[in-house]
Amino acid sequence: MPFGYTGKVLHVNLTKSEITVEEPEEQFYRTYMGGSAMGMHYVLKETPAGVDPLSPDNVLALCTGVVTGTPISGQSRITSVAKSPLTGCIGDAQGGGFFPAEMKFSGFDAVIIKGKSPKPVYLWMHHGEAELRDAGHLWGMTTGDTEDKLKEELQDKRIEVLQIGPAGENLVRFAALISMSNRANGRTGMGAVMGSKNLKAVVVRGKQKPTIADPAKFKELQKLGKTNLEPTGMDGFGKYGTPGVTTPQNKAGGLPTFNFNSGAFDKHEDIDGIKLFNEHLRGHEKDDQNRFGRDTCFSCSIKCKRVTEIAEGPYKTDAKYGGPEYETLATFGSYCGIGDMDAIIYANALCNMYGMDTISCGATIAWAMECWENGKITAEDTGGIEMTYGNAEAMVKMTELIAKREGFGKILAEGSKKAAEIIGRGTEDYLITSKGQEAPAHMPQVKRSLSVIYATNPFGADHESSEHDPSYKAFPERMKQIGLTNPQEKLALNEEMMRFAMVTQHLSSAVDSISVCAFIFGASFQLYGADKLVEVINAVTGWDTDIAEILEVGERRLNMLRVFNSREGIGRELDTLPKKMFKRPLEGGKSDGYVLDEKEWETALEDYYRLCDWNVETGHPSLNKLESLGLGWVVAESEALSRVIS
Amino acid sequence: MQIDIELLGPLVDYLPVSAKGEITIATKDNATIADVLKILKIKQKVIVAVNGDEEKGLDHVLFDGDKLLVFTLVSGG
Repeated sequence: MPFGYTGKVLHVNLTKSEITVEEPEEQFYRTYMGGSAMGMHYVLKETPAGVDPLSPDNVLALCTGVVTGTPISGQSRITSVAKSPLTGCIGDAQGGGFFPAEMKFSGFDAVIIKGKSPKPVYLWMHHGEAELRDAGHLWGMTTGDTEDKLKEELQDKRIEVLQIGPAGENLVRFAALISMSNRANGRTGMGAVMGSKNLKAVVVRGKQKPTIADPAKFKELQKLGKTNLEPTGMDGFGKYGTPGVTTPQNKAGGLPTFNFNSGAFDKHEDIDGIKLFNEHLRGHEKDDQNRFGRDTCFSCSIKCKRVTEIAEGPYKTDAKYGGPEYETLATFGSYCGIGDMDAIIYANALCNMYGMDTISCGATIAWAMECWENGKITAEDTGGIEMTYGNAEAMVKMTELIAKREGFGKILAEGSKKAAEIIGRGTEDYLITSKGQEAPAHMPQVKRSLSVIYATNPFGADHESSEHDPSYKAFPERMKQIGLTNPQEKLALNEEMMRFAMVTQHLSSAVDSISVCAFIFGASFQLYGADKLVEVINAVTGWDTDIAEILEVGERRLNMLRVFNSREGIGRELDTLPKKMFKRPLEGGKSDGYVLDEKEWETALEDYYRLCDWNVETGHPSLNKLESLGLGWVVAESEALSRVIS
Repeated sequence: MQIDIELLGPLVDYLPVSAKGEITIATKDNATIADVLKILKIKQKVIVAVNGDEEKGLDHVLFDGDKLLVFTLVSGG
C-alpha cells in the first residue's frame, strides 16, 4: 500500500455501463501528484481533438491528490477537468468540503468518466467498490433534496455527494458540481458536462484512511498550523471568511462595480464581510456565529465557510445552502449595483440549490444590466423584467430563470459571450470575459499582472491561478522561497512582474494539482508557505521532493492545459482582455481614471510568452518546453499538434 | 503626537465594536509604524498605507496627524 494515495483510479464508461480499476505506478503519482495535472493526463489521452463538450466523447476527470484525506488543514480538495461548454477551451474547477477526503476513503484517488448513460444514473463508490445505480427518481431534484434522498436510500448519513442540480441537467453552460449542497467546483461549466452524460451524482463512502510515511513530522506540521494562525492572520480570515476582503478591496479601488466600470461601490458596507458576520450568519441573534454560522472542510481548522439562514420573507433561505463568498457578494452585489444582502444570500442559495457558478451567473446578469442601461436590451427581450442596476428583485428572478432555462434566462444560460453573439446590437462591447469566461472580482486595471493571467489562462479569466500584485512586496520571505526577490512598484507591468506572474502561477498550478486549498498553501499570505507544502508532501508520501520539483509539477500542468487548447486550434488569438479594460477609464474611488495601455500590455504579454517558452506569434508551447516537462507524448500522439508545435 | 488609524477587514477586531475600526491614538514623537502596531497589539502581518500613499515599512517614522490605513492581504475568494 503506497503512502498518502490509494493507488487506484476508477474508469467509468457510461455508454457501456463498464467500470474498471487502474493501478498506476508510483512514478505516475510523482509526475502529476493528483488534481488537475492527473486529470489532464487522462483528458489529453482519451478526449478526441475537436470534441463537442456536451457529447459523450468528452472526458470528465475528478481527481484528488497525494495528501487528500490526511488530517491537516487545506487538503480536502478535488479538481474537475474536461473540455468546457462555456469557453470551448479546456475547463478546470476546484472544490472543497468533505467529499474529496471521503472519496479517498472510499478507496480511489480519481474517477475518469466518459460516454453517456442511456438514462439518469449515479455512481456509488464505497469501500473499494463501485457501481452505477438508477437516478431517474432524482432527476429534476434540487441539490439539497437529492442529498437528503440519497442519505435516506443508502441508510447512511455519512455519505458524501458530488452532484449536479437542475441547472446541470438543463445544460446551463456555467453549471457547477455541488457537494454538501453548498460547496462548488464552480467554474467553466463542469456541471453541464456531467449533465450531458446523464450522470446525476457521484456518491462516496469508505473507511480507508491514507497511511502517512512520517507521522512524527506530520504531527509537527499539524502543530505549526496552529502556531501560524495568528501571525498569518488566518484566524481573522476564518472568522470573516473571504467576504472580509470586500471593504479593503473597495478602499483600494478594486471592488468591481457596475459591470467593471468602477472599482468603488458606495454601498460596499452593505455587502461587507463584517456586516455579513454580525447581522446575517446563523447564530448572530445570540452572538453565537462561531458555533452556528461557520463551517469547514475535512480536518481544516480555519472554518472560513459561511452559513446563512433567512427565516421568512421573499428571500427565505435554508442554512443547508451555506452563505456567499466574497466573489458572490461582488458579482451579485457590486457588479450589479446591488446592496441588498438578503437578496445576495438568496441568489447564492439558488445557485447552490440549482447548481451554478455564482461568478459567471452574477457577472452575466451584470452584463445584461449594462446592456439594459445602454438601451441594447429592452423589456421585449427580458419578458418585462427591468434589468436596471440596483434591481435586486430582477437579479434574483433572472438567476432562477437561468437555472430553469426559461424566458430570457434561456439566453443568459449560454453565458454572456454566447448571449452577446445571439443578441448582437453591439452588446459585445459590455463583455467582461476572457476566452468566454466572466471575470472574477479582482480588477486587472488595479492588479496589473493579473491582466496577462486573465488573458492567457487556458480556462479563461481566473483569480486563483497566480498571486496578486501587492503580494510581491508584502511577503518578501515567502517570495524568496520561489526565487522572487525584486518586487516592483504598484501598477508596474514589466518583465519582472511577468516573471512574478508566471512563477506564482506555477506554484498555484501545483496547488491545484496536489489538490490543496489556495488559502492554506501558497506563496504569500497562506497558513503554510511553499516550503511547508513540500514538507507536508514528503511527510505523507515518504518522497524527497523539493520546491523546484513542485514548481515543475505546476508548470507541467499549466502546459497540459495550454496544449489542450493548442490541439483545439486555440492560441494567441484568444489571449485577450475585455475591450473596456483598454478603452474605458474606471470611474470613482481610488482607481478613478485607471485604464490599461494596449501597447504596454502587448509588450508584457510577449514577455510572458518568452518566459514560458511559448511561441510569441502563436501562443503555443514550444516542443522543447513540452519535452523538458515530459510531455513530448502529447505532440507525438496528435497529428493536429504536430502541425502547429515545433 | 496624534495618529489617526483605520483598520480594515478582520482587523476591526483589534478595537471595540463601537469604534467601527477607527481610532485616534497618542504616541511619542518620531513613533514608527511598528510602535503603533505594538500599541494596538497587532502581531500579524499587515499592510500599512500612510496618508493615502503607497504602503510603508515598519520602520517608517510618523508625523503628527498622519492617517494610517491598516489591512491584510488575502488574494482570491
